[in-house]
Amino acid sequence: MDKQTDFVLRTIEERDIRFVRLWFTDVLGTLKSVAVAPAELEAAFDEGLGFDGSAIEGFARVSEADMIAKPDPSTFSILPWRGESAGVARLFCDIHMPDGSPSYADPRWVLRRTLSRAADMGFTFYTHPEVEFYLLKNAPGEGPLEPIDHYGYFDNSPQAIGYDFRRNAITMLEAMGISVEFSHHEGGPGQQEIDLRYADALSTADNLMTFRLVVKEVALEQGVYATFMPKPFADAPGSGMHTHLSLFEGDRNAFFEPGAPYQLSKVARSFIAGLLTHAPEISAVTNQFVNSYKRLAGGGEAPEWICWGHNNRSALVRVPMYKPTKGNSTRIEFRSLDSACNPYLAFSVILAAGLKGIEEGYELPPGSEDDVWALTPAERRALGMAPLPTSLNQAIQAMEGSELVAETLGEHVFDFFLRNKKAEWDEYRRQVNQWEIDRYLPLL
Amino acid sequence: MSTGRAISATAALARAGFVDTTAAHERVSSWSIDDDLRASLIDDLSSAADPDQALAALADLPPEARRQVLADDRTRASFCIVCGASAALGRHLARHPEHIAVLSQHEIDADVIRQDLLDAVAAVDTPLGPCARGSGFDVLDELRVAYRRWLLAIAVADLVHEERFDEVSRHLADLADATLEAGLAVARADLPTDSEPCRIAVIAMGKCGGQELNYISDVDVIFVAEAVSPEGGDAGDEVAALKTATKLATGLIRACGEHTAEGSIWEVDAALRPEGKAGALVRTLASHIGYYQRWATTWEFQALLKARPAAGDRELGSAYLDAMADKVWEAAGRPDFVVDVQRMRRRVEEHVPAREADRQLKLGRGGLRDVEFSVQLLQLVHGRSDVMVRSPTTLTALESLATWGYVGRDDGATLASAYRFLRTLEHRIQLQDLRRTHLIPEADHDLRRLGRSMGYHRDPVAELTSEWGTHAREVRRIHEKLFYRPLLQAVARLEPGEARLTPEAAAERLQALGYADPAGALRHLEALTSGVSRRAAIQRTLLPVLLGWFARGADPDAALLSFRRMSEDLGSTPWYLRLLRDESAAAERMAMLLSSSRYSSDLLLRSPDAVAMLAEESDIAPRGADQLRTEVTAALSRHDNAESSVAAVRAIRRRELFRISAADILGLTDTVSIMRGISGVTEVSIEGALQAAIEAISADRGGIPTRITIIGMGRFGGGELGYGSDADVMFVHDPLPGTDDKEAADAALGVANELRRLLSVPSSDPPLEIDADLRPEGRQGPLVRTLASYAAYYARWSAPWEAQALLRARAIAGDQELGAAFTGLIDPLRWPADGLTDEALREMRRLKARMEAERLPRGADPTLHTKLGRGGLADVEWVAQLMQLRHAAAVPALRTTETIAALDAAVAAGLLEAVDRDELVSAWLMATRVRNAIVLARGKAGDQVPSAPPDLTGVAYLMGYGPGHGSDLLEDYRRVTRRARSVVDRVFYGN
Repeated sequence: MDKQTDFVLRTIEERDIRFVRLWFTDVLGTLKSVAVAPAELEAAFDEGLGFDGSAIEGFARVSEADMIAKPDPSTFSILPWRGESAGVARLFCDIHMPDGSPSYADPRWVLRRTLSRAADMGFTFYTHPEVEFYLLKNAPGEGPLEPIDHYGYFDNSPQAIGYDFRRNAITMLEAMGISVEFSHHEGGPGQQEIDLRYADALSTADNLMTFRLVVKEVALEQGVYATFMPKPFADAPGSGMHTHLSLFEGDRNAFFEPGAPYQLSKVARSFIAGLLTHAPEISAVTNQFVNSYKRLAGGGEAPEWICWGHNNRSALVRVPMYKPTKGNSTRIEFRSLDSACNPYLAFSVILAAGLKGIEEGYELPPGSEDDVWALTPAERRALGMAPLPTSLNQAIQAMEGSELVAETLGEHVFDFFLRNKKAEWDEYRRQVNQWEIDRYLPLL
Repeated sequence: MSTGRAISATAALARAGFVDTTAAHERVSSWSIDDDLRASLIDDLSSAADPDQALAALADLPPEARRQVLADDRTRASFCIVCGASAALGRHLARHPEHIAVLSQHEIDADVIRQDLLDAVAAVDTPLGPCARGSGFDVLDELRVAYRRWLLAIAVADLVHEERFDEVSRHLADLADATLEAGLAVARADLPTDSEPCRIAVIAMGKCGGQELNYISDVDVIFVAEAVSPEGGDAGDEVAALKTATKLATGLIRACGEHTAEGSIWEVDAALRPEGKAGALVRTLASHIGYYQRWATTWEFQALLKARPAAGDRELGSAYLDAMADKVWEAAGRPDFVVDVQRMRRRVEEHVPAREADRQLKLGRGGLRDVEFSVQLLQLVHGRSDVMVRSPTTLTALESLATWGYVGRDDGATLASAYRFLRTLEHRIQLQDLRRTHLIPEADHDLRRLGRSMGYHRDPVAELTSEWGTHAREVRRIHEKLFYRPLLQAVARLEPGEARLTPEAAAERLQALGYADPAGALRHLEALTSGVSRRAAIQRTLLPVLLGWFARGADPDAALLSFRRMSEDLGSTPWYLRLLRDESAAAERMAMLLSSSRYSSDLLLRSPDAVAMLAEESDIAPRGADQLRTEVTAALSRHDNAESSVAAVRAIRRRELFRISAADILGLTDTVSIMRGISGVTEVSIEGALQAAIEAISADRGGIPTRITIIGMGRFGGGELGYGSDADVMFVHDPLPGTDDKEAADAALGVANELRRLLSVPSSDPPLEIDADLRPEGRQGPLVRTLASYAAYYARWSAPWEAQALLRARAIAGDQELGAAFTGLIDPLRWPADGLTDEALREMRRLKARMEAERLPRGADPTLHTKLGRGGLADVEWVAQLMQLRHAAAVPALRTTETIAALDAAVAAGLLEAVDRDELVSAWLMATRVRNAIVLARGKAGDQVPSAPPDLTGVAYLMGYGPGHGSDLLEDYRRVTRRARSVVDRVFYGN
């Protein structure tokens, strides 16, 4: 038994942990958890824990149901919100086939594969997400949505629940070893933003899974409801997850080139060009729900057209202001992502699009300095700006023909994802919503 | 000087081994030395590997130095031997004549070397370690000169004092340690005065760590550093300390690797560190431990076997070693260990550029790396429970493995001596130019020098080549000796005083080699090898090799069991074991079949003597249909009743199917030839059986009043049968003029039924199922129809698309004239002159769409169903058949029963894009291969690509995917068929 495993088992003993939760993520980005008694954990480390893959979204059909979850002892963490008396701890798992080979259905492995492609090209991929979400007074099914406050962007609200909430959530995240960079009140009523410290993409994705759960738990403790739904209010901004991206070659930031325009290296320019070229086909992954496209239609901080710009908050890709002392902090910001994505898959397709740009040496079109929303459609056409898909349906169609996405996700996940999303769109098409009632009933 | 003396002098020179005697004579004569000295010199030179080269080196010395060499007997002898074997050291002495004294030195001591190199850089002790006087090129030059002086001293010990390889390579490692220490001292001199103090240890890895270094080689290291905690104070600033340590490490790398006027020493390679080249150059001990706990892969643990503190802080170095030792010994317990190791072993064998393979000492099967790797593997497997086999040095480890019974003693000793020989050879090759090479030279004079340097003076080239051959042969059998032979010992009667594998160790070993059921395997081994019979004796020598071959396949356990059954069946047959023993190709091929294919194993076990055909590649090549037909005719004429005739035909078929499956598994043929082969043997068998059936019924009824022909349908008609296919047929007959229709029909039906019975009657040969369900009206229709009845039936048809099934119809046996009449009847139907109407096209598309929805079995994964799934066989064939129905009337090339030929014709006629054809054909061939592999692996047919082990593993293995790569097959299959499907959507459905 290695020392980390030993440490985990000893800690469980010493801290009186009664339950151990084994975590993994399904194809749609939902956290899955299976609890084992501490006594069973040792066996789980050795042999993994068999489970029925057909019960998990996107994992397996009935005929190939046997799968194995192998807890990764290095991800051991005690869950801080369950109180001291009956402790609970968690570990992330990798999903394996019964022959020990990694499962193509495991989103974590999709990301690992993409990262190792980047590594073959000499790159490591770092991400830094800014996660937005809403705090509501009421849970789903308890009447019309009511935000916890009506403050706005950066408002300091010392008496408000939001303030306590952010403090508690951050304390809890830090207790679980997840560093938080920044937090503040966002633009919408009750809307919060918490930025995670930049880290390698796999850790960030793990951290995001933990983050969403922690935020929900803390909200529950305070009697409010937290949601990562991309666009809960028609009239307030949606919850995006602007994500800063950078590639490193060893210790050197591969996006940085002193003296180049905006200090952007050729690698960075081709990477951005890759993101722009493949933006439509990766949309279904970066913005995976019907509701995601309501956020993109809403303007504000959400991009609608495919373009990039230096410090341009209306562009899909923003190149932040360069800080002369920090060559290693050169990065780009991808702004279409929303907080409800599956971070493993989303980071994979984003990275793959960028790498494709580098491999093929895509040329970066000129950047846009304008406020893209202020342009007329004719102007946008003249500037060669294509729109992002405006609906899940368009995004599905773009993805369906994409070799890039198929290769990145792997055929299994690609196939499942498309089937699932088509079903979602079909179901949505059959809905009659309040807006239609309000608009048409009096008229017709 | 008289000519006579010159002649006798050159003759003496030639005897002494000179090649260019004239030049040698001129050189020696030009020096004013007395005759005795000249004679002694020539005598000394005659012992040199290359006397001409040694003499040239002597001539190149400054006169004063030459006199010094000549004056002293020991120095002179030593000079000749060293410079005769190394041109580079000759050049060194010409440049640094002050090193001549080293030639007569022979004390080599690690501490002395270390002190000497530190003195060379004028190092003074500081609390954190020695610090050189500077780091400029002058200092680096001094270090290089001192390094070469010691290298020369080691060459003297090696060549002159003939120390064993073990000592020489240890000296070289000592010298490397000292150089690293001095390099560190140089780096320290370069530190800014305000640097945060740190402790740093240099851990040698690889050959340096194992103290078995080459003359010229990179030196692999890992750096570990800690902040210094002042007396009683808190630990220092770790970040700053690591910064200092990184500077030291970079400085050390530069101090050794930098090219100066005196050249460079060697590259210090830190790539074995955590995260490789992307990782931090220096880590703290805790960070190293953290990494190996979480991330490290099996090969990294294997590398750690050789870790040894070489320079810097001793205490920190030992702490590192202690911490890592635990990690290493846990590695073999990791679940991925076996798969990892197999992958690593394949890589060791694969990475040889083919054109140099026969001159390679290091890489490839039986190369030095293979020996080292195999020893390490055994250490990882057994070192976990036995501390006695943990040495970082290959030879020591091998010796202890032998002592404690993990390797046979004789095998251990033979391998050790082969390893010593090959490493010495490598040393001698490197010494000549002090270049890093592992290739045996090609030029004759190089080989001659090499031979003489190894002590072969009579016929250096031939002796060297033969000796090398002997040792290389031993090493090539290394896996057999190291891994497998000891397993037999474990189940054998023990000779007194001999250690052997315990049952637990044998189980560990079998598991590490890929056997899933070690207890069962040991039982089989015991059964196969116990006793004093000749059979047991031969099997004892065969099994170590076979076990290794079995282990390469997907199911070694099944292979061992099958082999046991074969041997029980055939063991007393004289030729059987002799064949396996003497024709090792036959044994290897048999092992491959037994370990990867239940279908092939079954065919072989039904009739084990077929193993004989595995000896020759030409015997495995599938027979053409004509040759089979001759054999069938001969068989029929030998037998006078239908049962025994058809039994003979079926035996021919069984043997041929074995041949085709063997050629398939051994990679001696391709998918299209396999389909043709299986279709061919099926046709010939049906022909034979038809003839026998006609004779039998004719005898019963007193003649057959009708002509009979058999039409192949579906894949059989296309010549595209697989191992698992039934033969789809239709029976046609045509009553002879003036006979009663009923009479004729009864006779024809009798023949058809007799044919089917004969081909499926239970026997030791596999049955051939005849499927006539594609006939008009399917199972409700009569089994046999007259030509006229077919004509009437087809005349009633309304929709041209109903002719689709007829596209594949081909007369395969029976009356040829009738066959031609039948095809003449259907040609206008299947290749309609007007093609398809829009309505018929729509109907056909709709039919296909409905089939996709309805025919797929419930719960089947459409992405993995080879027949009806997305981009599967049906998809591709329907594309081809649609083209045929629409255009065959106008495009004669489309009138074929073969799918690929039809698609090719469509491309040629401009009806299909070549890229689309390629996507379709790859998917169709892949689905075909998967279907064949399913039958081969499992012994029975299946439509679904198996999606989980163990079926997936076996199928993936047969398709060329290595262990643990089954999921990759699924991924590739889905990708290829998805692309084909997008073509189908476009071309077939017109989307």
